[in-house]
Amino acid sequence: MKREMMFKLNGEAVNVEVESAWTLLYLLREILELTGTKLGCGYGECGACTVIMDGQAVNACLVPVLEAEGKNVTTIEGLVQPDGQLHPLQRTFIDHGAVQCGFCTPGMIMSAKALLDENQSPTDEEIKESIAGNLCRCTGYVKIIEAVKAASGR
Amino acid sequence: MLHYDYHKPDSLKEALGLMAQYKDEAVFIAGGTDVMVQIEQRKLKPRALISLRNVVDLKRNEDTTIGAGVTLRELQKNPMIQEHFSALHDAACNLGSIQIRNVATIGGNICTAAPSADTACPLLVLDAKALLVSATGEREVDIDEFFVGPGKTVLRKGEILKEFKIRRFTENTGSVYIKHTRRAAMDLPIVGIAVRITLNRNDVKCRDALCALEPISKIMGYFEDEELKCEDARIAMGVVAPRPIRARHAEAALKGKVLSEKLIAEVSEIAVSEASPRDSVRGEAWYRSEMVKVLVKRGIMKAIERIVRPGEVVYPERLW
Amino acid sequence: MAQLTFVGKPIPKKDAPGKVAGEAAYIQDLKVPGMLYGRILYSAYPHAKIVRLDTTKAEKLPGVKAVLTGSTIPPFKFGVYKDNPPLKTGKVCSLRDEIAAVAAVSPEVAQDALGLIEVEYEELPALFDPIEAMKEGALLIHEEHKTNVLKMPWKLIVGDLDAAKKEAAHIVEDTFRTQWVTHCCLGASGCIASFDINNNLTMYSNTQIPYLAQKDFMEALGTFGLKNKKVRIIQSVIGGGFGSKLDTYAYEYLAILLALKTRKPVKILFSREEEFFATSPRQCTITKISHGCTKEGKLLFREMEMILDNGAYTSWGATTPSVMMLPISSLYKVPNVKYTAKCVYTNNTYSQAMRGYGNPQATFAIECSLDQLAEKAGIDPYEFRFMNANEPGETTPQNFKITSCGVKECMEAVKTRLGWTGKRMQKEGRGFGMAALVHVGGGARVYKSDGCGTIIKIDDYGKVDVFTGSSEIGQGSETIVAQIVAEVLGVPIDDINVINNDTDVCPWDVGVHASRTTFVAGNSALGAAQKLREQILDLAAATLNEDPSALDLKGSVIFSKNDKEKKIALGKILRSAHYAPGGKMLVAEYFYDPPNENFDKEFKGNLSVAYAYGAHGVEVEVDKETGQVKIIKYVAAHDVGKAINPMLLEGQIYGGGVMGLGYALSENMVYQNGKIMNPNFLDYKLLTAKDIPPIEAVIIETDEKNGPFGAKGIGEPGLVPTAPAIANAIYDAVGVRIKDLPITPEKVLKALKEKEKR
Repeated sequence: MKREMMFKLNGEAVNVEVESAWTLLYLLREILELTGTKLGCGYGECGACTVIMDGQAVNACLVPVLEAEGKNVTTIEGLVQPDGQLHPLQRTFIDHGAVQCGFCTPGMIMSAKALLDENQSPTDEEIKESIAGNLCRCTGYVKIIEAVKAASGR
Repeated sequence: MLHYDYHKPDSLKEALGLMAQYKDEAVFIAGGTDVMVQIEQRKLKPRALISLRNVVDLKRNEDTTIGAGVTLRELQKNPMIQEHFSALHDAACNLGSIQIRNVATIGGNICTAAPSADTACPLLVLDAKALLVSATGEREVDIDEFFVGPGKTVLRKGEILKEFKIRRFTENTGSVYIKHTRRAAMDLPIVGIAVRITLNRNDVKCRDALCALEPISKIMGYFEDEELKCEDARIAMGVVAPRPIRARHAEAALKGKVLSEKLIAEVSEIAVSEASPRDSVRGEAWYRSEMVKVLVKRGIMKAIERIVRPGEVVYPERLW
Repeated sequence: MAQLTFVGKPIPKKDAPGKVAGEAAYIQDLKVPGMLYGRILYSAYPHAKIVRLDTTKAEKLPGVKAVLTGSTIPPFKFGVYKDNPPLKTGKVCSLRDEIAAVAAVSPEVAQDALGLIEVEYEELPALFDPIEAMKEGALLIHEEHKTNVLKMPWKLIVGDLDAAKKEAAHIVEDTFRTQWVTHCCLGASGCIASFDINNNLTMYSNTQIPYLAQKDFMEALGTFGLKNKKVRIIQSVIGGGFGSKLDTYAYEYLAILLALKTRKPVKILFSREEEFFATSPRQCTITKISHGCTKEGKLLFREMEMILDNGAYTSWGATTPSVMMLPISSLYKVPNVKYTAKCVYTNNTYSQAMRGYGNPQATFAIECSLDQLAEKAGIDPYEFRFMNANEPGETTPQNFKITSCGVKECMEAVKTRLGWTGKRMQKEGRGFGMAALVHVGGGARVYKSDGCGTIIKIDDYGKVDVFTGSSEIGQGSETIVAQIVAEVLGVPIDDINVINNDTDVCPWDVGVHASRTTFVAGNSALGAAQKLREQILDLAAATLNEDPSALDLKGSVIFSKNDKEKKIALGKILRSAHYAPGGKMLVAEYFYDPPNENFDKEFKGNLSVAYAYGAHGVEVEVDKETGQVKIIKYVAAHDVGKAINPMLLEGQIYGGGVMGLGYALSENMVYQNGKIMNPNFLDYKLLTAKDIPPIEAVIIETDEKNGPFGAKGIGEPGLVPTAPAIANAIYDAVGVRIKDLPITPEKVLKALKEKEKR
């Protein structure tokens, strides 16, 4: 079933024809070619596809595309300012060595952003909880946690 | 290639009407964290999905009513749930990841009816009632009657789980859910144990000892001295049977008795006898039995502790 | 050493901005115009005859462009042992055996087509246990091979074992087992094969070995009737390697064959489930080990017999005993050593090297056994290790020449930071454990060449392009190379552009393995940069009327060390050379092949020109009721020669350490009758952010004379001693020794109960 769908993506209104059996991740990656959001497992078990929908971190691979209708979706691409300036989290991820292969990085940053958007000075525990759904095979998480802390108000 | 229709009704009535239109060949989807995985694995090939996310009738989250459409994250953040239904709060804090909890609903967790469903044991010890609604009317079933087997419930075709009713317990009641896992997050329980204890009074003199977290044996000594009795008890166990179950004999053995270390040890042994765990990739049967023994004991202690002082969330034991 | 500007500094990774912005294009993100999608049909049985294979229905499905089976492709086998055809005919030997491949207009159509392929099998009895497979009269996995034991007789003998056994005052003997674990790259495997009109092949790939893959594919093309064609490998950004991409695989050959058949580019991308069951993991091992020492605790001998499950085909996993020999012969001073290893065909998936290249398996047995020996000798395990520790200047019995060696410093750091002396044996249920490691740190000559090339060019404005053979797989090689070049050329790090992903433009390199990139690619970059620097200084010397040796280059300015007035901007001198009559632009190249040695017939020789050492220590608490292990404190000390980039180096230690914790405690590919039962992130337990304990990384610098700026490799060592350190700590805590990985609560609890019974 094809349907027209409107939603807000990275601050801009988008009107797009979707197939009802798509996931939000499929729309983002394959149709809109926003490939910063990664497909790591497809089952919501790795968090590489994390985006923020109406203020909440969600696994885009588990979101039926039509659930994004009328919603406000932010992807990693939406964190970069129009002049190319990076979001503070993107900055601290670079400066604190939180990036290795980088495949988990966009999802990791989106989870951290969802946390910091509602809690500007999270504890270490809260940081860990916020990214516990994002698997990373390279870093051992230590520097990722440092980077999120550095971007927070603490 | 995958094709299915997708509907987003706003009301229960509309949702039920749609299901009727599809002659019950559609599938209800709430948070989608189970349904979407089953579709991705091609275990489920629905003609249509009927989304319950916009159905406001499922969203009540007040006092003694928890709508089926309430997300785990909403439960996690709700201080009322933490205070009065601590076991359910423990479960809500430990299911999946934040991304999962942001969309997964308590109704979905229960209707999927996995033996490992985290919210099932807490609802069992909280004596929750499930309200089921269909085009022809509604019925209330005890949560203990809701589960039939793995993935099987009493839900009939064209019926939706609307909400849970949980009564408020007296002040001398405490509950807990202990999730025993391999990882601290993103995991299913090897065993899940929920316990609710109501004491005969809450003016526990040994409060200070409990607050100071003195050794269990010592605290138990105080209990015996004070003749502290267990007025009511519920023990529920996950992943030890085809469905989440209550340990009724263990509960009975606690009821009306003076709490002692010996009694609790006996009760946990009884609970073990009521479990029939199996070997699986996720855990061995003998180990599950052992954990029932340990966690029932710890659960009873924790529930009592929560009566005398508001406890912190119980997280799975972890590597550090 | 002169004051360093870039080397030794925590410079952020050069590729990080693209990765945090979501710009970095992984193989998952690449599309080529006209591209088709390939999918692979795998066997339904671990061992079976293919009785009938009918693809008619699949071919008729709209959108399907090609269907291949073993009988429709040229006969060809690949792999280390050339025992693996990309599509199997006649019989299948494991559940990951590829039997057909489809190219279609979308992945979904290709997937649907697989469902239409009809296969009839005649199931054969199968072997999943290497010990069963070794038995006389066992059925043969590959009949033509005549036996299930690979003809790779790994055998190392040094000294006189019998005499040492007689001399020994204390001897321990035990058997240790390790499990199957897998790399779990977050970015799964994939490639795009594309032919031009002249039948030259471009492979977009996430390989760790672009030049060896190029050679493999060229050979394959030869057998496909395309002799002397060019193969170009373009690497996408790579979503993790850890050894998984050290070989070429069936899916790559199938993409090539499908592209050839359809005359269209073909992309094959693994699903997560495929990544679990159809890539090659670290094999399980069974190790019988015996150790002996004198009354005073001096190590006399080490004897090890190892059986490795090779699986149904052969990749580099079968060669891991070569690197295992390093710790076996040379971790601690041990004069008499005997080691034999057998790799055995089974109907399991086939094995590959994974971070550490066998070292974690060997070190688990060695370091656990050593603890047992220390106990028997009545010596504190730390003292026992320290007494027998390696030292610089030593030539070990296998002829490894130890240049720098900071293992004692590492042990001391671990001891101090854990509070070993004061806190040990103090608290019930708590325990301390330690384990050391040695790994290759200056390349490893496993191939004919261990080299890496670098080309550097510099433009009119002093901006530098570095073309290196080394690949970036997340570990930071791009940044390390840039730091070294920036240091030598005295230009800002941002002016260094590293190109490292195209065999058409970059010089040769043997691949990302053996923790060799900082050392080998670093030395190569250093050599090229020095050559370019000389050229620059020669030009400037003429202009400034100064001897080149009196000149220095910093901040993109060339100046005289004697006369501050004598200086010229780098860009200016470059432009004046370029735009002069008979103009000249500066380029330098350097190929560095370390002076290390292949093993001789007795498996002796100086495999690496530097050796990395380290020691890990851990304090644990064991819950005696549940068997759960809690890590109170973890210290990882590593002798790295010199930290070119301390921040990235810590990243390797933390990352390795956590991977090691998973190996020790949680990760396990559960195989039942050749089938992996947990091919997903829910049941294959990678640790999450909530699981990680506090880890202290300690960097010990020993200034390795052969290394670039004194550096040695650090890519793999971080996970090598983790499991034995934890096993030793658990023993110290509750007196049970877990001898098979992973150390699950079940195993600990079972052992505790058995101990109670005794």
